[in-house]
Amino acid sequence: MNTDKHGFKALLLRHETILVLLLISEVIYFNAFGRRFGTADNVTNIVRHSVEIGLLALVMTPIILTGGIDLSVGSILGLCAVLFGKLWRDAGLDPWLAGVCTLGIGGLCGGFNALLITRLGLPPLIVTLGTFSLFRGLAEAITQGVDAFTNFPESCLVHGTGQLAGQPTQAWILLAAAKGVWLLVQRTTFGRSFRAIGFAPEGARYAGLPVQRRLAMAYVLAGVVAAVAALTYTARFGTAKADAGTGYELFAITAVVLGGTSIFGGIGSVQGTLLGVASVAVLSNGLTRVPGLMNIASELSGMLTGALLLLALASGLLPKMLADWRARRHSSSQSAQPKLT
Amino acid sequence: MTFPLLQLTSVTKSFGAVRALKGVSFDLRAGEVHALLGENGAGKSTLIKVITGAHQPDGGTIDLSGERVAQLTPSAAHKLGIACIYQQPALFPDLTVAENIGLRLEKTRSFTRVDWSARRSRASELLQRIGANISPDAEVRSLSMPEQQLVEIACALGAGARIVIMDEPTASLTQKEQHLLFAVVRDLRASGVGVIYISHRLEEIFALADRVTVLRDGESVGTREVGSTDVSRRFRTATDGIPNPICGRPESVGEKSLLTESELIKLMVGREVSSIFPPAASEPGEVVLSLKNLGCAASGVSNITLDVRAGEIVGLAGLVGAGRTELACVLFGLSPADAGESILNGQRVTITSPPEAVAHGIAYVPEDRRRHGVILEMPIAHNMTMAIHNRHFPGTWLRFGAERNLAQEFIRNLAVKACGPEAPGGSLSGGNQQKVSLARWLATKPKLLILDEPTQGVDVGAKSEIHKIIRRLAKDGLAVLMISSDLPEVLGMSDRIAVLRGGTITAMLPGKSDAHDVMSAALGQSEKGIVA
Amino acid sequence: MKRYFRELSVAAALGVMLLLLAVFAPNFFEPQPLLSRLTAAAPKLVLACGVALVIIARQIDISIGSLFAVCGTCAGLVAAAKLPWPVAMLAAVVVGALGGALNGVLVAGLRLPSIVVTLATMVTMREALRLKQQGVFINLPDGAQWFGLPMTAGQFTVCGVAFGLLVLMAFAVKHLSAGRFVYAVGSDAEAARLAGIRPQLTTFLVFVLMGAFTGLAAVLNMVQSPQVDPNSGRGLELEAIAAAVVGGVAVSGGRGRLWGVLAGLLLLVCIGPALTYVGVKPYWEKAIQGAIILLAVVADGLRSWKGVNHG
Repeated sequence: MNTDKHGFKALLLRHETILVLLLISEVIYFNAFGRRFGTADNVTNIVRHSVEIGLLALVMTPIILTGGIDLSVGSILGLCAVLFGKLWRDAGLDPWLAGVCTLGIGGLCGGFNALLITRLGLPPLIVTLGTFSLFRGLAEAITQGVDAFTNFPESCLVHGTGQLAGQPTQAWILLAAAKGVWLLVQRTTFGRSFRAIGFAPEGARYAGLPVQRRLAMAYVLAGVVAAVAALTYTARFGTAKADAGTGYELFAITAVVLGGTSIFGGIGSVQGTLLGVASVAVLSNGLTRVPGLMNIASELSGMLTGALLLLALASGLLPKMLADWRARRHSSSQSAQPKLT
Repeated sequence: MTFPLLQLTSVTKSFGAVRALKGVSFDLRAGEVHALLGENGAGKSTLIKVITGAHQPDGGTIDLSGERVAQLTPSAAHKLGIACIYQQPALFPDLTVAENIGLRLEKTRSFTRVDWSARRSRASELLQRIGANISPDAEVRSLSMPEQQLVEIACALGAGARIVIMDEPTASLTQKEQHLLFAVVRDLRASGVGVIYISHRLEEIFALADRVTVLRDGESVGTREVGSTDVSRRFRTATDGIPNPICGRPESVGEKSLLTESELIKLMVGREVSSIFPPAASEPGEVVLSLKNLGCAASGVSNITLDVRAGEIVGLAGLVGAGRTELACVLFGLSPADAGESILNGQRVTITSPPEAVAHGIAYVPEDRRRHGVILEMPIAHNMTMAIHNRHFPGTWLRFGAERNLAQEFIRNLAVKACGPEAPGGSLSGGNQQKVSLARWLATKPKLLILDEPTQGVDVGAKSEIHKIIRRLAKDGLAVLMISSDLPEVLGMSDRIAVLRGGTITAMLPGKSDAHDVMSAALGQSEKGIVA
Repeated sequence: MKRYFRELSVAAALGVMLLLLAVFAPNFFEPQPLLSRLTAAAPKLVLACGVALVIIARQIDISIGSLFAVCGTCAGLVAAAKLPWPVAMLAAVVVGALGGALNGVLVAGLRLPSIVVTLATMVTMREALRLKQQGVFINLPDGAQWFGLPMTAGQFTVCGVAFGLLVLMAFAVKHLSAGRFVYAVGSDAEAARLAGIRPQLTTFLVFVLMGAFTGLAAVLNMVQSPQVDPNSGRGLELEAIAAAVVGGVAVSGGRGRLWGVLAGLLLLVCIGPALTYVGVKPYWEKAIQGAIILLAVVADGLRSWKGVNHG
């Protein structure tokens, strides 16, 4: 069905199989030891809670495919949430119009990253580390550290709390985003370009691909989708605060890497990312359902997520290390031969 | 009995499916300059990497002064007195010259105090010994490429190396620097050092080397004493620095030398330099590309005036570093021109990026296949459609069926040996990778095709296939600009030959020119010859 | 002169800043508040020294804020057990070195990108600490604060230790071969390997040293108050990175001087009061920090870009 997978089929299969197994064992464990884990209510709850991280992970996928990274998505979320509140309450805009403006602001934030990365050729790591601080700081400055926007009209919270066709509204948003990013990455020339850039940036340039424009696109898209996540976040909680989405970049990166996307670029899939999001979301929800762990669930899930990321990174290297080891053994046994004769 | 300084016996090395060395034997005596000769891709650099410990050989033995070396690692090689001066110096760009030399020469103990003044004085002494006018306090990144090479040589000198390997050391040096370098090499030889000298310039080999070993397709095809011909001895005693093999010498001697040169060329090429190339095209058509005083300061190309017609193959000859690849990069928008004008199909164009070049119908098959030509991790079908995303996939939607068909068509037409369109580029041999790279650009249906070393590192069979393909393309009306260091290839394939030196065209020659005319233009010695 | 251009320009900026403060806010220079300000900055100087080393080796470490809290808590627990302060300090430094070694193994041993590794260890350590400590402050016994010295003497000691470390490190990276190896590895790891330096080992040791410095910084921070806050150190990694980058340490590795880092840190320390004087509210601090990092990186980017074009 999908030719992009060829050659890495074995590896991806491996990764996705492991993920499915992890997910299944999580579900079994929490079902056995957790209270009311498997209820329909709780499933809805998991979906509601994983939408923002899911959205961020989805748009992080193309960026990591190009061999880059974006540490600022969580901060963009926070800034966008605050500016949405500001536009609605202080500028008196209609909530829907404010929402549209917020998307534009997210795009601008992503565009700022893209500008520094593509025009000045600065490493994405240090640029987004700077904007990670800058955007969050702007959000704090705007709210003066304490202000929070609340009392949004019920009508504009529907995508955070409402239902559509029997499912939570944001589930549909996540589904649409997943489909969109999947199409982008697996079905269009853009996705092809992202991979080419991730494998060999110079090679992509020599192939006549517009490398700078493609990179810019990935970062701008991340900004816009982070703004979408800001809107669902605000709608879900009914408030917009400067600390919205703190630490989400870690969860997003974890989900992507857990999903089998190589941190060095080129290899990866959107399906994997979704599985990664699901495992992280089930873990953090399930822990709150287990008696005895309830009180420390947030710390424990944060800790386990960090450990999981390290594990996923290390396991990504395993096939390569095995191959190296085999090659070394092979070559040493070969070079030993002539000496014997 | 005395042992040679270095003795390699039946060394083999493979990279995946490519057998880079197929049982090479090689020896180096103390106090000699042993030249290593071979076309690009003959296995010279692999052999060097085996000697410096960068690659572990798959088979064969290495003896140093009669002692078997089991595992030659870079640090072991360093300790055993093997030093290599690479074309691309392995220096620290952010550190000073003195420190670069110091880090190489000092024992790598961690907690010793750095004696900066000793470092500085040693650096300046070494640099003076090779006559280089470089401040020890200069940052290496501020030095030019030849200056960096001189720093490398100073390192090797200071290390008291017993074996010094020089990989195309003169490629980017000026005449004066070459003179200095030659004197340094002779000094080294006189002090009992064995020098392995790699160069494409036969004249240098005659001037410097005691023996020559010729590599071809990963095999050693022969070692010859250079000193046995009286011509070369004459050279060596008569001329200091770069000799003038073509013009500035008596007729009778010249003939004999030419014989030796062509003998060497024959060894390198492995066949008579003659009719293995497909016949030339009939009549070239209209001018496709016309360059007028084109230049680009950043890449050192200046004042290029050149016409390329449809159906014509124009060869770009010149030595390594003469600016041929740089010119191609200017035309393809990788380093945009800042002077002159280029006219494509009668229209003035300015190309500032590769996508623009593609849109204008310019295709560039780059020299470095593995880094630029093919994305090794991606299937060859994806590689082949990479430059035609816009045209082949309307609305940016990938069409896998159409992509596969296109790839299969090219695999058939160009006789690419691969498991199928899904095979990753890295699984193919060099020649087949080259065909994939070519297919990528033919798929764009270009008007102008720039080929950069199209048959470098390609085996003989694939080479003549690629030649046939190029000729066929020209017959179909494509304008072809072909860069090649392979002189027979340039002479055999080209309808006209442009010779570059120092970033500009020094001669335009007709297709079936004499090899020595091309060489002398490339070396820039014709005018000097007249003066002499 | 040209070689020191970057450091000199930071020093000049610092000079201008101090001059402006002297003219418009002279009470900035009153001895006791100034000493307090410097003492508060001392742990950051220690961290910035380590971070500078890490960046020179072409790596990054964003886990130091979390490690700082872990080390501080460890030292606090040891001190609260009525053990003398040298033991507490030793405990913090050892724990820090172990944390650094963990990063080092993952980065140098497994060759994983340091940003993702330290992102993961940052969260893991922070959450593990929260799990253990549940946000409870640790009360220190009387003798622990200011190393048991009177306050002013203690402040001088803290500043002295930090400054002494800077001098020591500035000497070590310039005049010890081990220090030069760090530059060599950051400048070109492959060339370093050819020169007989072991890049992976060097990288590993740099991370261990970073961890040990974090432990020391945590102790210098601990002695300044009667309690240890297990939530301390948030955002400290950014302050340290900002000081290093502003001070002229190039993110591309292999370049930078520790004197520049000192100037960079002092500049950042002065910006706070200067802004307060201009009327900017303190919650702008984080945004300004981000902007300063970006500004420094962009300036270096433009400079090297120009350099390439000329060369």
